[in-house]
Amino acid sequence: MVREVAESCVESLMAEIVSSYCKGVYANKPELAAPRIEAIGFQVGHRLSERYTMDRPRFTDHLEAIKFICKDFWSDLFKKQIDNLKTNHRGTFVLQDNRFRWLAHMSVDPSLVTSGSIQDPSAMAENEAAQATGLHLYFPCGIIRGALSNLGIPCAVSADISNLPACSFVVRIKV
Amino acid sequence: MQFFGGTEISPSPPAPTASGNNAHMLYIFNRNGICLLYREWNRPLKTLSSQQDHKLMFGLLFSLKSLTAKMDPTSVEKGNLGVPQLPGQGCSFHSFRTNTYKLSFMESPSGIKIILVTHPRTGDLRDSLKYIYNLYVEYVVKNPLYSPGSPIRCELFNKTVDQYVRGLG
Repeated sequence: MVREVAESCVESLMAEIVSSYCKGVYANKPELAAPRIEAIGFQVGHRLSERYTMDRPRFTDHLEAIKFICKDFWSDLFKKQIDNLKTNHRGTFVLQDNRFRWLAHMSVDPSLVTSGSIQDPSAMAENEAAQATGLHLYFPCGIIRGALSNLGIPCAVSADISNLPACSFVVRIKV
Repeated sequence: MQFFGGTEISPSPPAPTASGNNAHMLYIFNRNGICLLYREWNRPLKTLSSQQDHKLMFGLLFSLKSLTAKMDPTSVEKGNLGVPQLPGQGCSFHSFRTNTYKLSFMESPSGIKIILVTHPRTGDLRDSLKYIYNLYVEYVVKNPLYSPGSPIRCELFNKTVDQYVRGLG
């Protein structure tokens, strides 16, 4: 029996998590909100990876585990696979999704992006917009980190949003 | 003494150019009369400031809605003129046309009013307005960076609306 939830419900819930952590719980110290959201993602990723690797054999090496994340895990979560995987063969992997589902509806204020009479304010405004979008990526980063750690691979995950709606996740495996 | 009508030929409106947009202006208001979005593609004559223009548009539609509902010959219950009605109650007007433009209107159950001003030979735009409302839901309401009730400043929404309007017959 499959139980389904509307996708708009999940997306609204996650937007509200970010907004309430940043403006409510940690209003005085916004830099504490990010690790908290990432920790929530970690727990979620941990449990999801348990569920999705139920019938599979053990992974032989790091690359196999990362490929599992790119293909099966991502398509179970977002109905598509990671579009591009790059590695430097020394423990760093870059997973690129050309149209990240949870960012598909997000866009920034156009006047913030194009304003620029003075150099500094426009750079600051652009920075704020980038920061606001970045806050929403801590949750997916946490999910990847949780999934990998459950597979026995401790790592650090960060996200790069230089061009929306494409987004890259950088996974650094701790050796 | 002024002489109205008769031999005066009203100037025919300019036909929409292939390169320009097919619509003139778009307004989106919320339930409280705040203008969430105003986009303008082709408006040669501007007589009022933006504030006055928005207030005039909102007031015009509010009165038109009320008037058309009260003058409905097929409805049974008629309240007093001026009593505010819920969206969807009574008959709902959807467009009016003059010799130079056609104004199409749609109100959602949540009170979001979408107004599109186009050239007068446009057909029925009710489905287009519904599509624009869908775009609003997708790219504005679901945008985590947007707070409801504030003016819409979403680049993705502006882009998709511009693209869609350009393709309107």
